[in-house]
Parts: sequence; C-alpha cells; structure tokens
Amino acid sequence: MRLVWWLATVVAISVFAIFLSEQRMLDPVQNLSLTVSAPASGGLRDAARPVDDLFRGITDRGDIVQENRDLRQQNEALEQALAQQQDAQQRVRELEEALGVKQGQPEDQLLAANVIAEDTSGLKRMIAIDRGLGDGLDEGMVVLSRGGSLVGTVSRAYEDFAWVRLITDPDSTVNAQVVPAPSPQGSPAASDVIIGATPTPQPAGASPGATPAPTPAPTPVATAGDQGSSLRGVVEGDLRHGLWLDLLPPDLTLPEGSLVSTSGLGGNYPRALLIGSVEAVEQRPQSPFTSAEIEPASSLSGLDTVLVLLSFTPARLTEQ
Amino acid sequence: MKYLVAILVAALLAVLDVSVMQYVEILGVTPDLVLIFAASWAVVRGQQEAMVIVPLIGFVEDLVTSDPLGMSTLALMPIVLLAAATRLRAVDTEFVPTVLVVACGSLTYGIISMTVLAITGQTVDWDQVGLRILLPACLVNALFTPLVYLPVHTFSGQDRSNAIGTRRLISPL
Repeated sequence: MRLVWWLATVVAISVFAIFLSEQRMLDPVQNLSLTVSAPASGGLRDAARPVDDLFRGITDRGDIVQENRDLRQQNEALEQALAQQQDAQQRVRELEEALGVKQGQPEDQLLAANVIAEDTSGLKRMIAIDRGLGDGLDEGMVVLSRGGSLVGTVSRAYEDFAWVRLITDPDSTVNAQVVPAPSPQGSPAASDVIIGATPTPQPAGASPGATPAPTPAPTPVATAGDQGSSLRGVVEGDLRHGLWLDLLPPDLTLPEGSLVSTSGLGGNYPRALLIGSVEAVEQRPQSPFTSAEIEPASSLSGLDTVLVLLSFTPARLTEQ
Repeated sequence: MKYLVAILVAALLAVLDVSVMQYVEILGVTPDLVLIFAASWAVVRGQQEAMVIVPLIGFVEDLVTSDPLGMSTLALMPIVLLAAATRLRAVDTEFVPTVLVVACGSLTYGIISMTVLAITGQTVDWDQVGLRILLPACLVNALFTPLVYLPVHTFSGQDRSNAIGTRRLISPL
C-alpha cells in the first residue's frame, strides 16, 4: 500500500513539474542549473576532446588517410570553382557599374557561442550554448557552424543559455534545394539531374526490363539550372540516416556530392545556407518522390563553437 | 548526509553525461551513468532509500538536459519497482540483479521518455527508436554497470568479496 502511495505521489509531482516546465515557469531554475554546471561541463568537454582525438587517430588511421586524400582532391576542385566564381563576381560588378545598379546585401550579424553540453539521450539531437535571451537570442533563430553551414535552430532560450535543435533531430524540418555537383568541364555531366523525364510507354505485355521502343522525340533532359525551382525538397532529421532529403520530384537522377542548401521557402531560414551533400539516393518504384541521404556539411557531433545568425528574423518570430 | 552525497554524485554524473560521454559512443548510443547510478543505489541500498533518492536523481538529471523537468523522475521510477523485484533472486550477489535492473530500467526509461516527448508535442521516431536506441542502450548501460556499481557497493560498507558474488547459488524459495 505504501508503494502505491509513493507511485501516485511521484507520478503526480512529475506530471505537474512537466506541465510547469512546458509552460516555461521553471526556466529560471533550469537557467540557474546551467549557470552552475556550465563551467564544469565546458571544462570537461575541453579536457576530453584531445583524448578523443588521440583514440580516433589510432583507431581510424586508415580512414583518415583516405579522407585526407579525398579532401585534397575536393579542395583542388573547390579552389578552381572559387577562381571561376571570383571571375564571375568581377564581371557582375563591372556590369552593375555599367548599368548603374547595385544590389546591396546587408552584412550578416553573427554571435559566437560555445557549446557547453550535448543531449546524449539518443531520442533528440540537441546542444546547449552559453548565450541566451540576454545576448539577443530568441527561439527559432538560425545557428551556423564556424564554416557557415547550417547547424540548427534555437529551440529553447533561457536568460543566459539556450538549447539548439540540430538539423539531425527528428523534429527538424528544413525547406531545401539541390545544387548539382560540378562536372569537370563546367557543364552538367550525363549522369546529372534529370527532371521530368516522361516514362516511355511500354507496350502491353512487355517486361519492365525490355529495351524501350525508339520514340520520335528525345526525352526531355534538364539540368538543375534549367529547373532550379522544381528541385526543391525537405530535409528532415532522421535517427537512422542522420539527414534525409525527401519530397524531391520523381524520375530524378542525383549525382553523389550534389550540394543541398536552404531554399528560403517558408521564411524560417535564409536562402542558400549550405546543409550538406547528397550521399545516397533512394528511389522506390511505388514512391511518388525521390529521397536521398545527406551528409551534413559540418560535423555535428563534437561541435565546440557555433554562430547564431542575429540579423535574420525567422518567419515564426515575425508572426508572434 | 547519505542523500546529499547521492545527489552530489548524481549531479557530477549528469554533468559527465552531457559533456564527456558524447565521446564514448558505442552502438550509436552513449552510456547513461545517472541511470546506472540510480539502479545500483536502488539494488545495493534497498527499496526504502531508493524511494527517496531515485526521484531526486531524476530531478537532478533534468536540470542539465534539454528534457522538461520531471520527465526523468517519471522515467526512472520503474527502477525502484525493478529493484524491489530483485529480492527474489537465485544468486548470492547484488551485481547480477543490478545489471538486470540497469538493462530493464534502460528499456522502461526510453519508453516513458518517448511517451512524454510525444505528449509534449515532439516528434518521436517510433519505428527507429526500438532497434537503434532502446536495445543498444540496454546493452551499453549494462556493460558500464561495473564502473558505477563497484564504488556504490564499496562505499555502502558491504563486504568486497561478494561484490560480484560468484560464491554460491541460493534458492529464492
């Protein structure tokens, strides 16, 4: 009987505490607890990182060597692309001057924050940062890595601290667009994005694997540049894949390495923030959409510093 | 005094959980030292103390995580019941029951946490969680049990020789 009373009391107190917490009435308590624990957890994280790096260096040596080789190649390709982009920017500047127009782009206002804790329950993907409402943060604000790629959004802000929901969290959804991987010649490769490819009608009784009959007109093949607006999808957090790009048009061929960035739709994220790159594409015969597994641009585990984008006001904040 | 010590240790382990344990990822999950501590205390120190200390440990854990306050208290509650059930055991040891309580407690902890998260409007991937989070968490927490159990057992002033308890089998009947 005593155990029953204990159970009832603990359940009642817990449910009441959860209710108060959801109503934001216990925020000062959680802010205070983070204030007390932040120095210890921050110090422990800093102390553990070199040890972790050492063990990873030993156990993953082969992978690291291969990854280093791949990154060098990627770096070379990116430098080439950068040179082309700088040339294009110069030409744009010259044309703007010639036409007398100038589109100003306001400088992004970023606030650096240290990661002090990470939710390790496995059910969520969250990190705690040492900036809060007092520093100008608000819930819904966009959080970037040091390299400028998308990390997540501020999920819960206290006076001095905030919890950030990573893009890999199952609750995270980002409107995204796909940028095709650059081909060596600067033009889309044959395996690049094919959109709206009308399935060739199969004669009745023909097996699906049979060679299709020649058609009078070639199947329209479009690059992402031609159909930019239709290459939009939704990036969702997923416990199995980490990041999952869904709702892409059917009959779409995506090369591995295609870049995925925010589309700006919905107004909760600025346009063209890098999310990651396509790692594997999944096309099921019965599915009306193409899906793809995404490799995040920045390593989301072991983040030590992030940047909060203060100058962009998400739509969910302007609606309030 | 013993309750104060237990709360301080739980607070330290909770800080370790959110800071260092992310680097100790096995099978895609990290060990939950606070849960192991609660289970070890409940088995070694008995039900009376567990009824006081386990809810407090849950509260301490919620203070440093992103969970709503009260969720871990609710989710750790079955550990007290499981610890009480280990009174009927067939081995003269507290170690094996502790491992079992940790494993089963990890399962119930995950299920209750997911339920609370779903009720509070957060997305829970029910299809994936069982195989990817709950079962690995059972195994990994059970694997890390000796790290927490042995100090709890030692500081409880019990005979070190039967800490693991390989001496004899006894009948629960």
